[in-house]
Amino acid sequence: MDRAHIRNFAIIAHIDHGKSTLSDRLLEMTGSVTAREMQAQVLDAMDLERERGITIKAHAVRMAYTAKNGETYQLNLIDTPGHVDFSYEVSRSLASCEGALLVVDASQGVEAQTLANAYLAINNGLDIIPVINKIDLPSADVERAKEMVESAVGIDCKDALPVSAKTGLGIEDVLEAIVHRLPPPKGTPEAALQALIFDSWFDPYRGVIVLARVINGVLEKGTHIMLWTNKKTFEVESLGVLTPKPVEIDRLEAGEVGFLICNIKNVQDTKIGDTITDADHPAIEALPGFEELKPMVFAGLYTVDSHEHTLLREALEKLRLNDSSFFFEPESSTALGFGFRCGFLGLLHMEIIQERLEREYNLELITTAPSVRYRITATDGDAFEVDNPSKWPDPGTVETIEEPIITANIITREEYVGGILKLVEDKRGKQKNFEYISGGRVMLTYELPLNEIVLDFYDKLKSVSRGYASLDYHFTGYRESDMVKMDILVAGEAVDALSVIVHRDFAFERGRALVSKMRELIPRQMFEVAIQAAIGAKVIARETVGAIRKNVIAKCYGGDISRKRKLLEKQKEGKKRMKRIGKVDIPQEAFLAVLKVGED
Amino acid sequence: MALGIYISVPFCRSKCTFCNFASGVFSRDRMQRYVDRVCADMADSARIAESLGAVYERDVDTIYLGGGTPSTLAPDQPEQLFQSVRERFRVLPDAEVTVECAPGTLSAEVIATLLRCGVNRVSMGVQSFVDQETRAVARLHDRAITLADLDRLRAAGLANINLDLIAGLPHQTEESWRYSVRELIASEVPHASVYILEVDEDSRLGRELIAGGQRYHAHHVPDGDQTARFYEIACDLLTEAGIAQYEISNFARPGFESRHNLKYWTRRPYLGFGVDAHSMLLARQLHPDFPESTAAVRFSAADDLDRYLAQTTSEYESSCVTQRQALEEEMFLGLRLNRGVALDALCEHRRSPLPPAFHAVVREVTENGLLQESEGRLLLTERGRLLSNEVFARFINL
Repeated sequence: MDRAHIRNFAIIAHIDHGKSTLSDRLLEMTGSVTAREMQAQVLDAMDLERERGITIKAHAVRMAYTAKNGETYQLNLIDTPGHVDFSYEVSRSLASCEGALLVVDASQGVEAQTLANAYLAINNGLDIIPVINKIDLPSADVERAKEMVESAVGIDCKDALPVSAKTGLGIEDVLEAIVHRLPPPKGTPEAALQALIFDSWFDPYRGVIVLARVINGVLEKGTHIMLWTNKKTFEVESLGVLTPKPVEIDRLEAGEVGFLICNIKNVQDTKIGDTITDADHPAIEALPGFEELKPMVFAGLYTVDSHEHTLLREALEKLRLNDSSFFFEPESSTALGFGFRCGFLGLLHMEIIQERLEREYNLELITTAPSVRYRITATDGDAFEVDNPSKWPDPGTVETIEEPIITANIITREEYVGGILKLVEDKRGKQKNFEYISGGRVMLTYELPLNEIVLDFYDKLKSVSRGYASLDYHFTGYRESDMVKMDILVAGEAVDALSVIVHRDFAFERGRALVSKMRELIPRQMFEVAIQAAIGAKVIARETVGAIRKNVIAKCYGGDISRKRKLLEKQKEGKKRMKRIGKVDIPQEAFLAVLKVGED
Repeated sequence: MALGIYISVPFCRSKCTFCNFASGVFSRDRMQRYVDRVCADMADSARIAESLGAVYERDVDTIYLGGGTPSTLAPDQPEQLFQSVRERFRVLPDAEVTVECAPGTLSAEVIATLLRCGVNRVSMGVQSFVDQETRAVARLHDRAITLADLDRLRAAGLANINLDLIAGLPHQTEESWRYSVRELIASEVPHASVYILEVDEDSRLGRELIAGGQRYHAHHVPDGDQTARFYEIACDLLTEAGIAQYEISNFARPGFESRHNLKYWTRRPYLGFGVDAHSMLLARQLHPDFPESTAAVRFSAADDLDRYLAQTTSEYESSCVTQRQALEEEMFLGLRLNRGVALDALCEHRRSPLPPAFHAVVREVTENGLLQESEGRLLLTERGRLLSNEVFARFINL
């Protein structure tokens, strides 16, 4: 196909603003999928994605569209992950496109992710077509939504397209606009091969499957390719496109998007954002914008049943096959036994992995409090990073501690600003911007320590705004902070799985909340149990669980032994499900308390 | 070894709110069908024992008619039951024969029936001497009725009497509890049982307490720690009065311990008849299908009256007691007794030594002050009795 008849585009939107429905409608209108085949929202493949209404992995679908001018175009819809944790993946998907549909809900207007993704698109030089969706809803206010896009995103909405992806209204206009308002790809087949990897996954039968956009040159079966960052070479075994069904083709030319299979065994080799070139005639330089993905949030994962440890490792290995951004290594805890230290791109990424482990692999998990990676400079000048409280250095040896900082954009309704301001101040936030955008909305920009976000920030934000606040953030650097390790001691023994890194000014308050929560959760034992929060040797909070007074069957059941036996077996079973620290039996929930302190 | 016989009579004039037994209020007609059915089971018991490979004794040295409220039966019904026992078994001359009675059911006629049946021990569910407390749990008697019944029993020559008290009833206070215990002592009965209110899904009051509601005076039930305190008070007062504790819930003047109930805690053979009645017999030989089994078989009848009556022949759920279970039973039954468990007896009828975990558990609970070893016996401490499930559960599945 000549490049003038190719359009590569993405759809960007806030969660639930209708990206998936619009994708489905485009596929249906171009005949890529019949209505019968359409199990609503075909692009969101995994159950989990469908349930959460987000797309975790990007996909690319080729459609053929015969426009009103009678000419047939090749449209490549490149789907983007819909969440902040995956913003690098989004940026690479966008780098594979020339244009984007910016979908905004006609009654909700602009939300934080609309903004974040729109900026990513603008930064990648994309042409943007604003689409106002859900105009069939009674609460729709197209003009207001347009105004908000203009004032918040700063793009012209004169020609925004009003549509209802649900009913199909205005979809043809969208297709026409893609053809006429978005530019065709640049680049030339004659130049040396440069293809951008924007997604890859592992298929048990075919090995790694790579989704790529050919920027320059040509990819053919048999081409010897080289992956730029690791210089590994492979031979292209097959090429194809998703329509959305996979269809094999012979070549992919500059401007086109498709998948390639080249007997790659390890998904870690195919890094998103990396450049594929021809090993025999390599390009002079790589495509711009490659970044090595780094985990930002860390937590320990343990199985409730210690016998399932091997199953957990197998499950983690399988998940990593398809997720190069996910990292894990074995760790052990005196409290929880053998487990894994895992690194995630963000909180949602962590939740998704946890849920998949529990749902797809039927594992019952205990997750330790999420932590971030601190930069530490020792008094002897040595510099290193620590993401695990158990590896926290002796304060006497530390010169400076720096913690990761994010910049957060929060969009909310005016009436909730007060509550949100208090929340971000409580979380050590520094205001960078406060802006009224139209429609009674306020946009707040804050610098916040990532450490404060990982625990319960989302939940609290949702609660103070009754759900009417959206959040987007990106990592912006490190800042020196007075961080300390707070230990929780049960009956005098520090429980490693409960240690957290906190800012010194917050330690007292957090410590009190945590020990009081623990007091509720630890059942009374045969003896009195002290629960303490301590920084080093200094105890900052204490609660006591009184000794149990009675646990007795003081009643005659005649000769019925089975009733007594059943009760005792149940008690024994209950004890077995607890973790024993020293002499104290601690229930699973207590370990989760760290995550929930202050919720009540 | 002579057997104990238990007969379950699941009938009451009214159901108490704390009751978690398979008992209730039923018609006269069903009571008769029930009695007939129990007698038929007795007739069939030799065959059942045979089929289970159990030792079947004809000698019986304790009989216990429990409930429910056996004293609600019509006069001819207990006679039919006891006659059936005497037809099938040889009741030894010094046998202990107990009947449970509710205060207020002991008319002269009923007492005469008991005497004709050879009953020589009566156990009365007094629960409390405070009228507000008995009323709150829907019992039909008060203190005056109880005392009148006691007088009548003694006048008839039935002086071997047990009274039950329950700690933790709605409206109970430390003061009212002391009053009940003192009244019991003042009545000069030779035996007392002190129970603690059980909170579970099987009673109306239990369900209400779990749900946090206010029906059945649930919000006036003292908390667990208070109830524990009541129990300790009872132990102290009864001991002072010469009614010594011999089991977690049982106290007696010397020589008045319940011989029947002792069989349960010492794992002596007994046969139970009727709804939800449980039996344990010695096995004739080790069961070939259960290589782990020791010389005991346990079996029980249906725990629901309708189901029990619907069965035309005796149907039992049975199980062989494995070595491991036998050891568990030795602990959670034997340790209930103040005299505890003899260590050498534990090893005696086992073919393998005690598991190493056994000693670790003994050490742990001893360190926590719940268990002690004295003259080759393991016994619970005072605190250990109130926390006995903590101790027992640790011996399960060693």
